[in-house]
Amino acid sequence: MSTPEGVDASSAPVTSSDGPGSSSTRHGAATSRRQPPPEPKDSLWLRRAVILSFWLVVVVLGLPVWWKTTAIYRAELPLQTMTDWADGKICKPVFPLRIAVEAPIAQQDAQHLVRTTQHALDDLNDFSAHHLRLMLLDPPLAPNASQQVVPDGSILEENDKENIALLVRLVSVETGTTPRSRLQPYSPTLDVYYTANQLPSPSSTGSPLATFIAHELHKIFAEEQARLAYLLSTTSGARTAKSKSLSAETAAELERQSTRALKYAPTYHLTFSLFSPTYLPSAWEIEEALQDYLSPLLDSFRSISNFTVDTQVQLYSTFSPSMRQPEYDDVLKAWTLRKEDLSGFINAAEWPLSPSIGAGPTVNFALYVPDQAQSPLLVKENGGNSWLVPQWGGIFILNPADAHEDSTPSFLAKDALAPAMHAFSDQLVSLLGLPQSPASLPLRLSTLTRVRAASLLFSASSTLGALARLYRALPSIPVPDMVAQSVDLTAAHLQHACDSLREGRFQGALEHARIAEGEAEKAFFERSMVGQVYFPDEHKVAVYLPLLGPVAVPLIMAGLKELKSMTGSIFPKRSP
Amino acid sequence: MPSFLSLLLLSIILATVSAGSDYTERLLLRPLPQSALLASFNFRSNDSQLSFEEQNFRYFPRSLGQILQHAHTKELHLRFSLGRWDAESWGQRPWNGAREGGTGVELWAWVEADDEDEAFSRWLTLTNALSGLFCASLNFIDATKTIRPVMSFQPEGDHSNAPNLHLLHGTLPHEVVCTENLTPFLKLLPCKGKAGISSLLDGHKLFDASWQTMSIDVRPTCGIDGHCTLEMEQSVDMVLDIDRSKRPRDNPIPRPLPIEEIKCDTSKGYNAGDTCYPLDKSSEPSWNLTEVFGRSLKGACPLTDQEGENAETVCINTPPERTVDVNTTGSYIESRAVGDTLRCYKLPTGHDFDLNLPSQQMTTGLVLPSPPLSAARSINGHGQERGSIQTVITNPSPTSAVEFVYLESLPWFMKPYLHTLRARISASPENPVLETYYRPAVDRLRGTHLELRMRIPAASTLTLSYDFEKAILRYTEYPPDANRGFDVAPAVISLIDPAASDGRGQYVRTTSLLLPLPTPDFSMPYNVIILTSTVMALGFGNIFNLLVRRFVGAEEVVAGGGGLGALVRGKIDRLKGLLGK
Repeated sequence: MSTPEGVDASSAPVTSSDGPGSSSTRHGAATSRRQPPPEPKDSLWLRRAVILSFWLVVVVLGLPVWWKTTAIYRAELPLQTMTDWADGKICKPVFPLRIAVEAPIAQQDAQHLVRTTQHALDDLNDFSAHHLRLMLLDPPLAPNASQQVVPDGSILEENDKENIALLVRLVSVETGTTPRSRLQPYSPTLDVYYTANQLPSPSSTGSPLATFIAHELHKIFAEEQARLAYLLSTTSGARTAKSKSLSAETAAELERQSTRALKYAPTYHLTFSLFSPTYLPSAWEIEEALQDYLSPLLDSFRSISNFTVDTQVQLYSTFSPSMRQPEYDDVLKAWTLRKEDLSGFINAAEWPLSPSIGAGPTVNFALYVPDQAQSPLLVKENGGNSWLVPQWGGIFILNPADAHEDSTPSFLAKDALAPAMHAFSDQLVSLLGLPQSPASLPLRLSTLTRVRAASLLFSASSTLGALARLYRALPSIPVPDMVAQSVDLTAAHLQHACDSLREGRFQGALEHARIAEGEAEKAFFERSMVGQVYFPDEHKVAVYLPLLGPVAVPLIMAGLKELKSMTGSIFPKRSP
Repeated sequence: MPSFLSLLLLSIILATVSAGSDYTERLLLRPLPQSALLASFNFRSNDSQLSFEEQNFRYFPRSLGQILQHAHTKELHLRFSLGRWDAESWGQRPWNGAREGGTGVELWAWVEADDEDEAFSRWLTLTNALSGLFCASLNFIDATKTIRPVMSFQPEGDHSNAPNLHLLHGTLPHEVVCTENLTPFLKLLPCKGKAGISSLLDGHKLFDASWQTMSIDVRPTCGIDGHCTLEMEQSVDMVLDIDRSKRPRDNPIPRPLPIEEIKCDTSKGYNAGDTCYPLDKSSEPSWNLTEVFGRSLKGACPLTDQEGENAETVCINTPPERTVDVNTTGSYIESRAVGDTLRCYKLPTGHDFDLNLPSQQMTTGLVLPSPPLSAARSINGHGQERGSIQTVITNPSPTSAVEFVYLESLPWFMKPYLHTLRARISASPENPVLETYYRPAVDRLRGTHLELRMRIPAASTLTLSYDFEKAILRYTEYPPDANRGFDVAPAVISLIDPAASDGRGQYVRTTSLLLPLPTPDFSMPYNVIILTSTVMALGFGNIFNLLVRRFVGAEEVVAGGGGLGALVRGKIDRLKGLLGK
């Protein structure tokens, strides 16, 4: 077998390979060994072509096929869009609230009043994303109703009416202090009482009535503005409209409220449980109590979420052994729990407070009736008997009313449950994140709609961002097409939600944001994405190494030799 | 004979416990031969159907109630069992076998659905949810382990929407029942094992028993007035070995008695001071509740009725001459029934209660009722390819024939040949098979479902046999302990029209079987990859060399021409040259 070097070395001095004479001349020069004949050019080229074609097949066909067939599938994701959503570059949420004004006065006067009030309102407002737009509602008898021009130039159309956040009704009165206002508790209506002389004159640019209305409106929406501003400031990337600065204590209070509140869900499961360390009481009139005290509240929340309610009675429910037992306090004449022990009050290991089946979080309300020997049972620091567990539920300790009786009642009537039900209602309201003010429930609910829509928008956007980061950070996880579809759907619904917000259709915005959030979570928590995290590419190579190794060695060696011979023929070596 | 009659009466009394009251519980203790003790715990709670639908749970546990509602399950039967009931010495099974299951976990339920697919998806929901509730692998009951029995099971409850109810049945013979299944079971009880007879239930003793079964049965019952209630019955039956149970927990190793305490058979020729053939103990062993159950009975659960028959929650079934001492500080009421063979106690509330039975030489004993059928099943044959199953069913009654349904649910990898099915009756040429229902297996999709209605004449033995083929599984289908074998679910024998029927039926279950399947060498895939790769690489190397190398005559090879060998040879030559100088 000859080597390329051997071929080169022998080809230089020899002229003819087969001649018998030449063999005699070589006898003297070298040993008795015969030199192989020089290789013809065409066989040299043939060999090179063979090697090249092998290499080509391996590189062009073999490796890609092998890589492709053993690769994991990763769907294309719109990474840039996702990151933009997370950074808040695509949507800057704004909250234009329509406020209708109903005034039983002449058209020009009313328009003038609305205009001056709007001016006063704009002066007061320091939070550009959230602004109130006054619109003059058609007087009931006015002709040409659909052509009323509102101060900012838009026309109040019929279908906008359902998006009106608040109705300001001007009522002319003769008695009492004026101007004064009254917010109706069960409808989004603000009645403003005034006397005729308080109307702004057509020439003036301000009037006490206009200023008063502006201040009232500002006051009503102050908490909502604070909440939204807090939401915008805490969400990363949403660098929009940070003009409204929040005082430290407001921010702390808002943070406290937002950590308490449950995450938004279309359905909440409410579980009311009666716990007792003994076998008494073993029955309660819960159906009637729920019907009377809770159903009205739940009905008013139906526009935002649905609720299922279930109840249970759990006897022989003792505290967990790790909890400090209640101590008797001589001053309060009661058994007391220390405030820091309240977190361990629920004996999670033994009390059956498992979440309900079905989508949506479970809100637990625990009514604890202490043993007669430990009654009344109170919280040491403030003498209270109920507290709220953030994002979980509420607890109420029901000390039987007749403490002088020698045993706990075996049955809790509806009236006995009333304080507990009131406490649970309050706790439910805070757990759902309903704002404290204003006094009108519909207004608070619509505030909640806006806050929820905004927070869902932000959370869906940040989920998209997290998914994009995950996609980039872990190149070895598979990404099925389902994820890409969900991402597209999320982006579409986010866009819809953002548009709806801008147009003031908050209910629609909430719907879209809800879908977007659901899809984003679905994409992020896709199960098949985690399957192969622990199967890296190294394993793939290791399994196929018995094939790749023995095949690669002759290929590489032959290629190297041929390359060497080629370089050798171009720059011939000087023979020694 | 009087005691035998009284036992029949007894079972009727125990079966008719509780009508109307919301919560009842009862413990029946019955000493069995060979110092065994049967303890039957029974808990029954009712909630009205209306409050169940509104999810206002009082005695019915919320966790289970929500699962049933979510899965649209109208009637549920769940069993956790361990061990084997020794029918030869212990007689008839408790509850006539209606409250026990095959080894492992057995579940059957009537699910409301419009069609079979919907029923099956709800069934999966049910098994998954129950799996979480009871910490059992119930979620492994998939299509291959689910059958739809035709004749074996009848609903116990009153159902209004019968045509839309689908019966599904699944078994997990491999499941090991243990303490983690008892804890959730106790949590479902209103008194939670803190008071009442449930305070005796301790995992260490329960799962140390010779035989134990836990059952949960949920069924709707409707009165004549149309008022429906949902009844949940939980029961625990166990046979404890008294000697074994009395061993202290910190010193559980049995040690031989000193020779002075052993009674020797002096008639033996080799009897001497150091050799002894122990006599059978003729006296009943002494025991009390605290010793045997490892816990004390903490008084009554106050939710039961305070008056009447249901207030008596602990009953002991012994011959009248047996001494039973009550040890409690509270006040209790004892009543005797069924010819004094049944003593029942109304427990004090809030005080510990104990029954003390001293060691006693007995002159009479209870006659245990004999079971209506006894059954044994085994795998015969050899080799890794085929086998056969043989079931021997005996009717001990000298007078009456017994008709029954034999239900077999086989895994798909055990493929029976139905043409080899033979049923023979000893000393009679007639064919005992009256009706056959057979649904063949589909590989990896469903198992075999075989139901046979058979009749066995008085005092005869039926032998049922069929051959089967063992399938070879795919590499990934083997469990981690593949060489242990695969469990085959017990066969269920349900008696048709038994004499003393209480609407629950009578059942006998065989033991589960262990089927050895051919198991491969599990490093095989890697060996195959490596071997194939080596062969391919060899072939490739040869062809490549043939194509690429230049061939010259042997004498034309250049000295030291290339390669590692030539290099080494060259070095050696140089070294030789240096040394030779």
